[in-house]
Amino acid sequence: MNEALLVVLLAQAMVAATPLLLAGLGELVAERSGVLNIGIEGLILAGCLAGFATGAATGEPWLALAAGMVAGGFLALAYGLMTVYVGCDQIVSGLALNLIVIGGTGTAWSVMQHHDLTTMPAGSGFARSWFGGWGVDLPLLGPWIFNQYGITLVAIAAAAAASWMLARTRLGLIVRALGDAPDACAAAGVPVRRWRLLAVIAAGLAAGAAGAFLSTMRTNSFVPLMSGGLGFVVLALVMFGRWRVGWMAAGCLMFGLADALQQHLQSQAGANRVPYQLWQVFPYAIALVVLALVRRGRAGPRALAQPWSP
Amino acid sequence: MPDLRRFGDEWPAVAAVAGAGLLLLCGLCIAGVDPVAAVETAWRGAFGSWSRLAITATAAVPLVLCGLAAALAFRCGTLNIGLEGQCLIGMVSGVATMLALPAGPLSCLIGLMVGAAGGALWCGFAVVLERWRGVPLVLSTILLNTVAVLLLGALVQGPLQAPGSAAPETATIPEASRLAILASPLHLGVVLAVLAAIVSYVVQWRTVLGFELTVAGLNPEAARFAGIQVARRTAEAALASGALAGLAGAVQAAGVTWFVSDGARSWGYAGIAVALLARLHPLAVLVAAMFFAGLEVGANTLERRMEVPHDIGVVAQGLMVAAVLIAGALATRKHT
Repeated sequence: MNEALLVVLLAQAMVAATPLLLAGLGELVAERSGVLNIGIEGLILAGCLAGFATGAATGEPWLALAAGMVAGGFLALAYGLMTVYVGCDQIVSGLALNLIVIGGTGTAWSVMQHHDLTTMPAGSGFARSWFGGWGVDLPLLGPWIFNQYGITLVAIAAAAAASWMLARTRLGLIVRALGDAPDACAAAGVPVRRWRLLAVIAAGLAAGAAGAFLSTMRTNSFVPLMSGGLGFVVLALVMFGRWRVGWMAAGCLMFGLADALQQHLQSQAGANRVPYQLWQVFPYAIALVVLALVRRGRAGPRALAQPWSP
Repeated sequence: MPDLRRFGDEWPAVAAVAGAGLLLLCGLCIAGVDPVAAVETAWRGAFGSWSRLAITATAAVPLVLCGLAAALAFRCGTLNIGLEGQCLIGMVSGVATMLALPAGPLSCLIGLMVGAAGGALWCGFAVVLERWRGVPLVLSTILLNTVAVLLLGALVQGPLQAPGSAAPETATIPEASRLAILASPLHLGVVLAVLAAIVSYVVQWRTVLGFELTVAGLNPEAARFAGIQVARRTAEAALASGALAGLAGAVQAAGVTWFVSDGARSWGYAGIAVALLARLHPLAVLVAAMFFAGLEVGANTLERRMEVPHDIGVVAQGLMVAAVLIAGALATRKHT
């Protein structure tokens, strides 16, 4: 494998890792606060559809991104009210959320097909070279920084900010305490349920943005069920990263690299002698193997997935 | 989930279904569909005549088997989210067996058994990973679901593809190896599903093994002090639920589709929803599965007659689960 190929693969890996990192950051914060949201898959899918519909109707990428976030945030609000305030089981509520979104996006997609809202106008969606094409030809920095979607860089900055926030600020301390010792939080005068709800909504906004990225930037199209298990991969990555931003981000990049590699191998001559599913299964197989190999340690926030009531 | 394991007070489930139904009707109103006509159309389509009832019962068969699988696993405290993949593996291994063996009822029987074994094996990977490496079952089964979808795709495009066909699908099972049709399209699998529910009830409610499974799920700590091998019982429940999900896939293939294609439908997630609606009771699973099947068949009729997208049925199913959860949580809160 030569150097140029490695540069290209890494650049592709960053694109593939962007939605994982965005949704993963949100999910990580929510889980740190004690809420395990299996419905992240549904939130991403809702972001995909809302983003695409808005993009197709208006041609405005910013509006599309905002619509995706609103859809994700709104559904997360409903999920948060159910799990945090009513005290429903978090995992099963997440499954219900997934069912509702799968059915809802399917229904909405049929309606959109009726109204011919199935293609994005040409030129809508964010451009890949966000600096007006400047700097694309630079070695290394070109493909890795200047020829990337702006949102990829935003996601990386957000990861750094979240890492700092969790470790060094009062807000981060509250989030960590919510998941480890909600009773102590309440005793210290922190409204546990309100903060948890906020964390869940933040996760919804992030997942919605990840969905909008998938439909309006990466593929420029919507297909029913297009999130295709991405939310579940995010859940795995957060656990794999042991609830730490740095390790989770590394996991995202690794998964993205595996994805870029399988796409590259699939395009090679002679690759069609092997079924394409064998390449696609690559990232999932790696995730399973890595999970089996990492040492057992502290298994996440102590109060994860446990409802709390005063 | 202590709220799901208490029995006797069924009103939350009933109230939940009513509430979710009302919400859905409001949605239909907003969309400009006459709700009364819509409900009547859906009801007629699902339960209106003996022939419609046969269609609904056929759709309920995989839901019953997957629902029983979920009820068993959840009662024992193992969140087997992997039923979706286990069902697919059961389907493809069952069909492969029925195609390989000489046509006849015996090959059908062996095919169903291999399907169940396939589902259990697929769940077994996750169980092994959890017991020896501490990988959470929720996580590994989720990943294995995707692997199962891709494996099925590779198999029906490779070794199992019908000879001379370009489509990614297996050959059709010979007529002699299929499950007998009772009243078209209802097949012998319906008897199997009812039997499975009864056996499941008897084992879980009337035997020591079932008692141990329930205690291990309700309070692992107490179970350990009572001398119950919690880890072992949990693993057994997970494997049995995998086998039931695999059986669901094999029965569906042997009774309805007669072949497997890429992107085949699975019933795992729907089964979990059914089990919750039934509050994890095996006999109630039969009723809940008929209800879910009715929603599905009714939604299909609605699409044909009134141009309402059939995906609305999935929304209805999700709303039902959410409503049952909310009602259950509120009821528990009142008691404590």
